[in-house]
Amino acid sequence: MKAVFIVFNQANTEKVLFMLDQLQLRGYTFWEQVQGRGSKTGEPRHGTHTWPEMNSAIITIVPEQNVDELMRTIHKLDKRNEELGVRAFVWNVEDFV
Amino acid sequence: MAIYQTAIRKPITTALIFVAVLIIGIFSYNKLPIDQLPEMEAPYVSVMTSYPGANSEEIETNVTKILENSLNSVDGLKEITSTSKDNVSVVVLEFEWGSDITEAVNDVRSYIDMVYDNLPDGCSRPFIFKFSSSMMPILIYTFTAEESYAGLDKILNDEVINELNRVDGIGNLSLSGSPERYIYIDLDPQQLASYNVTLEQVGNAVSSNNLNLASGSVKMGGEQYQLRVQGEYVESKEINDIVVKVNGNQTVKVKDLATVRDTIRDITLEEKVNGKDAVRLIIMKQTGANTVQICDDVKVMMEKIVKKLPPDIKVDIVRDSSNDIKNAINSLSESVLYALLFVVLVVLFFLGRWRATIIIAITIPISLIVAFLYLYIADSSINIISLCSLTVAIGMVVDDAIVVLENITKHVERGEDPNGAATYGTNEVWISVIATTLVVVAVFFPLTMLGGQAGILFKELGWIVTISVVTSTTVAISLTPMLASKLLKGKTAKVNNKGELVVGNQEPNWYEKNIIPLLNKLDIAYATFLRWALTHKKITLFSIIVFFIISLLPAFMGQIGSNFMADQDQSSLNINIELERGTRVEKTSQMARQFEQSIWKVAPEVRLISTSLGSSDDGGIASMFNQTNNNKIQMRIRTTEKDERDRSVFEIAESIRKEFDKYPEIVTYEVSTSAYSASTNNVDVEIYGYSFQETNQVAEELTQIIKELPGARDITNSREKDRSEIKIVFDKEKLAKANLTESAVSMYVRNRVNGMACGFLKEDGDEYDIVVRLKEERRNSISDIQNLDIPSPTGGVIKLQELAEVEEYWCPPEVQRKRRERVVTLSITPYGVSLGELAGNIQAKLDKMQLPEGVIVNIGGSFEDQQETFGDMILLFALILMLVYIVMASQFESFAKPFMIMMSVPFAISGVILALWISGTDFDMVGALGAILLVGIVVKNGIVLIDYINLMRDRGYELNEAIALSGQSRLRPVLMTALTTLLGMVPMATSTGTGSEMWHPMGIVVIGGIIASTIITLIIVPILYSIMSRHGERDRDAKQRSTFIFMNLKDTLDEDRAQDKNEQ
Repeated sequence: MKAVFIVFNQANTEKVLFMLDQLQLRGYTFWEQVQGRGSKTGEPRHGTHTWPEMNSAIITIVPEQNVDELMRTIHKLDKRNEELGVRAFVWNVEDFV
Repeated sequence: MAIYQTAIRKPITTALIFVAVLIIGIFSYNKLPIDQLPEMEAPYVSVMTSYPGANSEEIETNVTKILENSLNSVDGLKEITSTSKDNVSVVVLEFEWGSDITEAVNDVRSYIDMVYDNLPDGCSRPFIFKFSSSMMPILIYTFTAEESYAGLDKILNDEVINELNRVDGIGNLSLSGSPERYIYIDLDPQQLASYNVTLEQVGNAVSSNNLNLASGSVKMGGEQYQLRVQGEYVESKEINDIVVKVNGNQTVKVKDLATVRDTIRDITLEEKVNGKDAVRLIIMKQTGANTVQICDDVKVMMEKIVKKLPPDIKVDIVRDSSNDIKNAINSLSESVLYALLFVVLVVLFFLGRWRATIIIAITIPISLIVAFLYLYIADSSINIISLCSLTVAIGMVVDDAIVVLENITKHVERGEDPNGAATYGTNEVWISVIATTLVVVAVFFPLTMLGGQAGILFKELGWIVTISVVTSTTVAISLTPMLASKLLKGKTAKVNNKGELVVGNQEPNWYEKNIIPLLNKLDIAYATFLRWALTHKKITLFSIIVFFIISLLPAFMGQIGSNFMADQDQSSLNINIELERGTRVEKTSQMARQFEQSIWKVAPEVRLISTSLGSSDDGGIASMFNQTNNNKIQMRIRTTEKDERDRSVFEIAESIRKEFDKYPEIVTYEVSTSAYSASTNNVDVEIYGYSFQETNQVAEELTQIIKELPGARDITNSREKDRSEIKIVFDKEKLAKANLTESAVSMYVRNRVNGMACGFLKEDGDEYDIVVRLKEERRNSISDIQNLDIPSPTGGVIKLQELAEVEEYWCPPEVQRKRRERVVTLSITPYGVSLGELAGNIQAKLDKMQLPEGVIVNIGGSFEDQQETFGDMILLFALILMLVYIVMASQFESFAKPFMIMMSVPFAISGVILALWISGTDFDMVGALGAILLVGIVVKNGIVLIDYINLMRDRGYELNEAIALSGQSRLRPVLMTALTTLLGMVPMATSTGTGSEMWHPMGIVVIGGIIASTIITLIIVPILYSIMSRHGERDRDAKQRSTFIFMNLKDTLDEDRAQDKNEQ
């Protein structure tokens, strides 16, 4: 099992949820309104007057064989609207109950 | 969940809530009465006391002074004035505008009760009279007739007044100058003497033979009859044959002693229209009733009535206050509609999209209609002030919606779906939208707290703008995002067969091809200029300051006049003419015809002249508004409508004045252009002092001096000239010897001269007076009076001269007092100069004058009101600036930033001065209102700019670059706000409709102020920002971070770990 951490501009929320449904990935944990800043060009998302936009984040634990498809789809979503931005990070899940 | 999220998620609820608001608003709009100005209850209470037999000075000391001293402590009293004339004392209390008059009347009553015992015996109980708007005539008709003239009174009473009384909300209806049927019995004193009959005997005989009386019932057999004496005259001829006295077998009949005339009443009050005999019908409304509605109803009914009247009766309207109101409201409504159109066009021009424009335009009706709801709840009306306020509001209510919609559009253009774009786009800006609204509220809300007469006008502006702006903000963060989520279309994006993203519809439309490049160029040009100015701060600042100083010059050079409120051209004139005292009515009437001819000659624009002269002794309430006398003439003139003539009524008035100057017979005259008899704009010079002689002298001197001043017209003196009277002074001893009393003799004299009322002639349910008196030629000279026969109780007659001296004497003038001191008031109307200028000139002359000891001269009138109001306004202005400062300082969390913004306010003032100077307009109360409004707009523009500069700096741009970029980005919103307000005002400044004189100054002030302040704001705010800021000051993080010292600590991780291991 792998954990996929997806961070995205909150304007993408509906699309991300749609994507998980399409890929039949049922389980996820969702943080609404998280702050952050991109490593290269990404503008800060602070929800302040200066940087009014906000991100949201989802972590979903998926079988290893689904990870590749998920990452590809996330990339498509990013390409659809690069200004909004969506990023994903994958790591191993040691164990779960 | 935030309001905008709910709104987007529940579009039906949101839409329907606003539909409901619209419906309720339209409902209240329909219920709103139309009026000239907001209902202002005139804060005057009069106390009238009669003390028969006392002359004016006695009344002053024994009645007026006592009342004044007591009433002076009534709560809320502003000023106390009084008039003491023979037999009557009138004390007028003026309260602060807006105070509760009912409460004041109660107070007055209790203060009167306190001193009532101190008033002299024989003094009547003081009568408290509250002035109310229902006493102003709203409609005046004149009726002229040929053959039906004699019966006009009956016709009008039966056919017109009875019918009109059915109109809803109508108040008092009164006829003035109608020919009343009278039966005069003119006695010949010689015949009386020869038959040895007294006038009283004739009178008693006439009245006692005129009787119907129920005298019980008579029972006859099984039936019962009422017994009646049926002796009343059926026609006036019967009076001739009434037997007055039986001398043996000789009977003396009325016809032997007198001529009986069944005629119309002797003229004491003459009404003419265009020189023909006329009757005036004066119509008043009930307090709070809708003037326009009543006038319309009356006119409709009158049309029906006229058809039933004899054909020779002609009806004309002399004064129709609904007409003034309707014209004013119509031309203002037009301005409101133009403003709406302009605002929509400006939005369309800057946004370039129909859908966006519609979404924004929708906020206008909603915000304005909520203002109607307020007017309805506050019991107000659609009036000049409320419509002006709406025009002002139109430009402001779109601003919030524009900000929200712009941000949503930005999101949509990035390819978000409209729903998300609406949610997140609103989320990003809604707090700052509310903050800017707070600034506007800080400007307008204090207006609701202004007191005085101006307060009543400004209150409405304050509430209307506050309410509509708050509503518009609510709409901007609920309905606007909802509509945006439904109406805005995202860019069409497709995926082609190759799997690539194609963002469609790239063909630029006309707007994108033509307007956008233009606007972009403008943005870039401005940014380029800003960059240059930022490197040449000194020269830029210097030239701005020079401009500022030059622009103030017209004000310092006295080129800007000031008024209380501009006079309006209401197509009517009021003329009061005073001839030499004691001129007989017939002579006055003859002169009046001559004056009318002169007016027709010099003023062809005149359509109708209604002239009244003389006085009616029982004219009812209407006679209170009639200032005519045997030697005073009042003319109400109607001219053709404003757009049908070249000269204004002011010019017409001036030409009439020139004509009147040629008549030596005229003692004083006044040609006033206001619809009501009192002139609105005048300077009063009040001369206080106890001695009549000294004050009269000062008044006379001043009148001569003021006459020389340019623009001083219609100088009237409030103190009547001494008038001659014929006085009967009884010799008490002779009276006693003749067994007579003063009261008995005075009654005999009255019966002979004025007439003895002896019953009525009844016909068709109407009663006509029968009056017995001496025939005219026997009571018209001093010797006639001296020879009056006074019946003695012992029989026989005594000549009046045997009991009393009949002499001519000068009666003391009435005593007018103000602030409990005797006063003479000279009232001066300005023509061609402003009120402030005229007052200033008079003051200058006054300063040079040598006044006798104990005489104080003071300038009052509208000038005083104006000074008071301007004083209040300056205070208010300061309060507003402080509030705005507080709101802005907390918004920016900075003491300095609000200063930069407020620095642009003075430039609004220079714009105002230049605009007033160029257009030659006087600054008045309505103009001041515009100036306050400017503060709101100017400050709003500054906030938009500074807020964005702050933002750019926080995002890490260098100071000057941040300023230039912000300028480039915020130019359009600033221009948009300025243009919407400016164009909204253009119709106001340029309209020439009836009543436009009143709001003209406001349009001029706002336009001038906005042009100057917008341009200057765009330059001075960025420069001040650059001067007053230091590089890097915005970087709070850097500041805080500089206190973090932990990074400099020595790296001891390895050692500490080793230590941990050892411990384990």
